[in-house]
Parts: sequence; C-alpha cells; structure tokens
Amino acid sequence: MGRFIVRRLLYMIVVILVVSFITFGLMHAIPGGPFSREKALPAETIRILNERYHLDELLWKQYVSYVYAVLIPHVTTTPPTTSLQDDFMVNAQIGSVWFRWMNFGPSFKSRSRTVNDIFRDNLPISAQLGTMALIIAIVIGLPLGILAALKQNTVWDYLGMGLAIFGVSVPVIVLGPIFVWVFGVALKWFPPVGWGAQPPYILGFLPSNIGWDFFKYAIMPSIALGLGSSAVIARLTRATLLQTVREDYIRTARAKGLPERAIIVRHALKNSMIPVVTILGPLFAALVTGTFVTELMFGIPGMGKYFVTSITNRDYPVIMGTILLYAVFLVVANLLVDITYAFLDPRIRYD
Amino acid sequence: MRKLFALLSLLVVASMALTACGGATPAAGEPVVVKETVIVEVPGATATEAPAAEGPKVLNLNFGPGDVPTLDPAIAEDTSSIQVIEEAFIGLTHIDEETSATVPGMATDWSSEVNADGNEVVTFHMRTDVPWVRWNGQEVETVKTCDGSADRMVTAGDFAYGIERNLNPTNASPYAYVWGFVLKGAADYNNGVTDDFSTVGVEVVDDATIKLTFLAPASFNTQIAGMWIGRPQPQWVIDGDCEGAIEARGERWTEPGFFQSYGPFTMSEWIHDSSLTLVKNPFWPGTDEIPVPKIDVVNFAMLDEAVAFSDYEAGNLDAVGVPGTDLDRVKADPVLSLELVVAPIMCTYYYGFNTQAPIVSDARVRRALSMAIDRQSLIDNVLKGGQEPAQWFSRPGLAGSPTMADYPDLGVKYDAEAAKAELQAYLDETGQTAESLDLTLMFNTSSGHQRIAEAIQQMWKDVLGVNVKLVNQEWAVYLATIKGADTPQIFRLGWCLDYPDANNFIRENFDANGSSNPYTDGKPSGGAFYNNPDFFAGLAAAAAESDPVKRVQMYADLETTLVYTDAVIAPIYWYSRNTVTKPYVVRTFGVGGQEALEKWDILPH
Repeated sequence: MGRFIVRRLLYMIVVILVVSFITFGLMHAIPGGPFSREKALPAETIRILNERYHLDELLWKQYVSYVYAVLIPHVTTTPPTTSLQDDFMVNAQIGSVWFRWMNFGPSFKSRSRTVNDIFRDNLPISAQLGTMALIIAIVIGLPLGILAALKQNTVWDYLGMGLAIFGVSVPVIVLGPIFVWVFGVALKWFPPVGWGAQPPYILGFLPSNIGWDFFKYAIMPSIALGLGSSAVIARLTRATLLQTVREDYIRTARAKGLPERAIIVRHALKNSMIPVVTILGPLFAALVTGTFVTELMFGIPGMGKYFVTSITNRDYPVIMGTILLYAVFLVVANLLVDITYAFLDPRIRYD
Repeated sequence: MRKLFALLSLLVVASMALTACGGATPAAGEPVVVKETVIVEVPGATATEAPAAEGPKVLNLNFGPGDVPTLDPAIAEDTSSIQVIEEAFIGLTHIDEETSATVPGMATDWSSEVNADGNEVVTFHMRTDVPWVRWNGQEVETVKTCDGSADRMVTAGDFAYGIERNLNPTNASPYAYVWGFVLKGAADYNNGVTDDFSTVGVEVVDDATIKLTFLAPASFNTQIAGMWIGRPQPQWVIDGDCEGAIEARGERWTEPGFFQSYGPFTMSEWIHDSSLTLVKNPFWPGTDEIPVPKIDVVNFAMLDEAVAFSDYEAGNLDAVGVPGTDLDRVKADPVLSLELVVAPIMCTYYYGFNTQAPIVSDARVRRALSMAIDRQSLIDNVLKGGQEPAQWFSRPGLAGSPTMADYPDLGVKYDAEAAKAELQAYLDETGQTAESLDLTLMFNTSSGHQRIAEAIQQMWKDVLGVNVKLVNQEWAVYLATIKGADTPQIFRLGWCLDYPDANNFIRENFDANGSSNPYTDGKPSGGAFYNNPDFFAGLAAAAAESDPVKRVQMYADLETTLVYTDAVIAPIYWYSRNTVTKPYVVRTFGVGGQEALEKWDILPH
C-alpha cells in the first residue's frame, strides 16, 4: 500500500504538469489580454505591465518560470516580504534558512492581492460549504437509496426515487432563489444571503464560531447544493444494492440463517459501496473547491466565481491557480477513493 | 432496519428543531452592525450599556459581485474603487454629485492665468486644517509625524506626490492618460520619454499652494484637477519613513491596518470579496460642499444585483439597484413602488459603424439604419427602466452638452419614412435590393445586449426590409475585434463619464485615435475608422472655447456631424438607474456613478 501511494503521488506531479501545460497554452491562445480595456491603455503602460508580469517573455520561458515558482521549493536566507511577487503558500524557517514553496503570483485584477491571498481568504469558505453539502448529500442520499432498494416497487421506493428525480432535475439556479425568497425574505427564518464565518480560521479552514451564527447562513446553501448530489447518490445506491442482494453470497448468508440486518449491513451494503465511493471522490473535489452558481445565488464569498471571472478578466495567475487547485483536489480525492476500495473489498490489492 | 428508521426519524425531528429555532430568532431581520474582528475588551466601553435609541447610524449598501479591485487612487479604474476613493480622499476641486458643478474641495479657491506660451496656469490655495487619519482597530485616530509631536496634515506636497505616482509609468495607471491630454509634460513623463518629474506642470509653492500648468485654457482643466487621479497618497506608508520605523508597504498600502486617508470617511475593515466598511472621520473639518457625515458607519456588501435585491427585501440592505427582471414587480408593488427612484446617470448606449466597411461606408445607409430605430419603443417594451431616447452622443447634463429643452430636434430621431428614402437612394444608385444587403451587428455576450439587438434587428427588418445578422463575442475577445481591422459593420458600445464635460464624451471617443476611433501611424485602424479633419478641428476649438453659450452651440454642430451628416454612430439611449431606498434613508442621487455619502442621513426608525 505504501509503495502504491508513493507511486500515485509521483503520477500526481505528472498530471499536474500536464494540466498546467494545457491550461497555460489555452489561456494564452484565446484573444484579448489582461490589460485590454474599452478605453485602451497607452502603449507604454501596457509595455510596463507586460514587463512587470513577465508577459513580454517567450511563452515557454513564462511557463518554466511559473512551474519553478509553484512546484519547486525555494531555499533562501532572505525572510519573506510583503511584496506581491514574493508571496509563498508555505514559509518554513529552519535556523537561518527559509524553505518557501508555492508562489502562485499576484492577481492582475485585484492589484493589492495575490493568488495565495485568494486561496487563504476564499477557499476555506468554499471548503466549509462544500463539506456540509457533501455531508447532506450522503445523509439524505444513502438512506433514501437503501430504503428504495430494500422496499423495491413499494410506495417507499417511488417516494424516494421521486425525490431523487426532483433533486436531479431542479438545479441550484432554480432552488437557490426559491430558498432565498421563501425562507429568507418571506418567512425570515434565515438570512437570505451571506456567510457566517470570517478569517482567521481554525487550522486555516474551520470556522471559529461554530454555532447558530454560523449555521443560520450555512443551512440553506448547503441543502440547495447537496440536494442534487444526494439524488445521484440515492439512485446509485439503489441500483447497486439491488444488484448485490441478488448475488449468490447473499443467498448463502440467508441460507446460513444470518439475521437480515447483518446480511444487509455487513454483506450487501459494504459490497454496494464501491460505485458510490467512486463518485464521492470527484464530487468532493467539485464541491469543496467552489461552486459558482450556489455561491452567487447566496452571496457567499467563496472560490467559485474565480473559476469564471478569472477567465473573463484574463487574470492569468488566477486562472492557473484555480485550475491547479481543482486538479490537485481531484487527484488526491481519487487517491483516497482507491485507498478506500481496499477496505471495502479485501480482494483489491495494490502491491 | 429499525436502526435506519430511527435515523430517518431523528433527521425529521432534527429538521423540526432547526425550524423552530429559526422561527424564534429575530436576528434575520435586523441590520448587521459592524463586523469588527479585532475586539479589545475595554470595561464599561461596550455598546451594550448605551441605550438603544442613540446607537451609531449604520448604512448598509451593496457594491456588486466580486472584490473591490483597489483603493489606490493612482491605479483605480472601476466604480466601486472610485466610490471609496471619493469618500476617503478629497480632490483639489470637487464635482457636485447632482449638478456636476465644479466646487471647492481641498482647495478653497483658485486663480487662473495664461502664460507667454499659451499655457493655463492655475494656482490652487488649499485648506491647511485636514489631518491624515487611520483606523486603529477601535477608532479613527490622526497620523503623527515621525517624532510624534504633531499631526501629519494634508499638504500641497502630498498632492504632487499623488500626481507623480499616478503618472509614473512603473505604476501603469489606466487613467493617467487623462492628465496626458491636459497637463503640461504629463504625457511624456507617463510614456517614459523623460523620467524628470520637474518637466511636468506641477509646482509646489508652499504647503498650502500648488500650481498646475495646463497645455491650453479649457473649462474642464479644473474638473480634471479634481479627479481621483490627482489625489494625495500617504508617501510614508508606501515608501516607508522615519528612518525605517515605518515599513514601506508598496502596493499593499491600501490593505486594512495600513490604509490612511483624510476625507469624510475612512476604511475600517475590508474582508476581501465579502464586505468593506467605511467609518466617519471625526477629524474631517466639514465644508459647505463636503459636510461632516451624519452617518457613522457604511457597510458595503459585495453581492450580485438580484441577490442584493433579496437582501434589501429582507431588510438587511438600505438602498440597492433594482434588477431589470424585477422592475415590473417593483412598479406594481404598493410598498416598493414608493421606494423606487429613477435617476439619470451620465452614460450613453450606442451602435457604432465601421465607416470603411462594405455597405455602411455610405453615410445614407448609416443614417437609414439609425433613423429606423424606434428608441422610445425599445425603452417602453424592452428596457423598461426609464431610459431616455438618445438623439446625440454627449449625454445632456454634462458641461458643454446640448440639452433636450434647448435643442429638441437636434441629432437623429426615429423617422421611418426618411430612413426608407435614404436607403432607397443608396439601393437605386448601386442597383441592389434591401434583402441582398449583407450586414452584421456584433455585441459582447450578454442577455441584455442580446435582447436590445434582437429588437433593433426586427425594427430594421420591419422598416427597411434589411436582414442584419447578429454575432456576439466574449468581452475581451470583442474588445480586440472592435479595435482592429476586423471591426464589424455595426458594433455596440457604451460610454460613461470620467469628468462631467462633453469633451470627455465626443472628443475622447471620436477624435483621431479616440477610444472608439483608434489610429495607427496616423491612419484609422479600428472602431469607427473615422477621418474628418474639420470635425477633429471643431473638437479642439470647442474644448478651448471659454464662452459657455457659444460652446454648447459648437458641440451641437459637432453632434449633428457625428450622428446625422456623417452618421458615425447611432445613439440609442441615455442611461438611467433604478434604485430602491428604505424610507428612513435621506439621500442624494449621484449622476456620475458615485454617491456623496457624507450628505446622506438615517432617520430614527
């Protein structure tokens, strides 16, 4: 297992390099640049901006220096400064030597912030929202799927799957404004928009005020975001569980006279979880790194909008940063999924 | 199975409990007061002890989605950044937010003379009683000099530093070019031709006197002197001071904790992407034009317009813009309709023509297309936001711009018969039919522009019988297209004021190498591809004219050339904005996109 994880982590670096290369190429291929304005900037101003952000260099040089700044740890004796060009995510001091890693560069649009600032300020909020949405998706989806499978073709099945179809077919862009209007504006149960946690965060991402002040903002968007995913989980759970309970080993278990609960929980459910766990990986990465529509609908200052606005603004460092962030989360989540397989199904071996 | 049911019923109970909890909490309806994170406990000084009646006056507004890009006057270019700058830094002159008149700002008075070279030298006499301030986490305090003995006051040197920093090419200010048009030596310094700032027409006479040398006399020189591009910045924070005791913050000087200013409000908190808070500066002396604020705290949310409107309806915001899709409902609502105000805003929406492209290179075709647009119908049926049909480009309300009262028939209007006649003359001469004309209208991707374009496409079809293709491109791609050789026959643009003068509209857009008429090597290279030396000479003459009445007539004649004779553009509408404001808020309506919050008040409610 250890060797497997190391190998996968090495693959991850390759994946990141490929993703960064493609993204870098695509973003420079689209017309327009970060400094195109309706009132065109003077040529000299553009020249200076290009020089400052090294956009005047050859593209391969820009790519190499980007990869160097982000991926390669820097060892230096000069302490960190507040300069926008000098903001590393990891700053560790050992004696008089600084180990500094991951400089994603300054944002072209927010001229007093860096991409790392955006990660520090906005990613925790998206992570909080995404984690809660994922929990809601599992807590609703899993029981619903199990219930539907065990009571196949009964009213429970139809009710559960009806709910699932509703969840899939009513997107957040519809559900969000309805929630805001009904529970926020009309009934005033929850604040219609906003988010209850602010920096600084515990461990860099946990809200420091877990309580009603936090959850009154979080409940509506988490449900709106989690409902769609819960439907997917419910349908998948139902389908695989239906298949599993028809397997020979379940019949054997029944023949042995095992109690029904043990058959379902220990044998059927555990073996049905592989497809569900498989989709949880990408789902986790997608929810946690920011969701554009949900965050917009509920006025949540998360990462989601940067995936979209960075492209319209041609904010190159932010485009690269957001895409790489997503890629890392996706690869790591898939690795965790693969590790979970080994626990769910002892036949799966990686070494 | 029982376990599962237990779990489900637990969930149901839990959701009921949450529901009950939500119903019992009154917090949702109350305005959110300052969300200060730096709290130092001072016994007896907490707000809870004060009676609720006389709490701080808190105003909650919205900025629109996304972080405020900067608070640095040297590099600001968007309305949110400039809104904060307008409150935190006052210019030499000040523009009245409703009348657009140039009134005293930090300069109490100024005198002007023309020197031997024909330059206009304006001497500004400044107030000396305004200290720099900062938010220390609890309250606004004055900034002290290095030895701590005295307050740092705003001086003429601070203004010179601010202008220098704006023009310094290393700061790459997007708006420095405005100085380049008018201030002696500014263009060369900004373009790196010289790095000697003493060649620029900025002279500090003493702490309270500054002289600006403008290239030529013009009524808008003093307006530009008051723009955000000419505001002081705290040199000691940016570059460091006091033998290193104050650390140089560089571009980060606008961050919370470092930020310093001197206007009626200063910034106390900026949670990036989430909210920005201004607090009243008690050290602002107050003038007739820029009074001491009545409101203590202004919170700006950063929400999408539709989301902010929901928050307004929930009672959390005090004034917001009304989304176009909600306008009909607001007008019909008995409460909201009373809170709705439609106010003009200094912007013009127009379609430009590439005057060298096939078919539209003929002025008759351009006139026909322009006259075939029923602007009132577009406003009544598509826009619905109280806009005004535009007959010319420079929006009325700007200095020098003609007004509808004095010039009701100026420019271009909907006239189906005249439009048909113009097009027929062209068709007869070239032997074509209306259906055969291959015309393309391009706009940047947006549902709003799409609806307008579709309505106008139908009008052109109905009145002229021409089929115009609609093409849209993403904004940055679109900008590259309409500034280059591939400019389509018809393109969409809008323009909002930088300073309230017709010069900022007609000249800065349509002069040779104007914003919508780019030139390369002395030849048109994009946009309108417009070249009319008489028109360009007229623009220069109107800018220099000192008699206001004559000046308006000159602009009226220039507009006739632009929108009728040469028909370079089809002006479509003059903007308005729809805002709802809670009845307890006393306010003014800025026509330039910024609000004078120091004039606002909140009544007991």
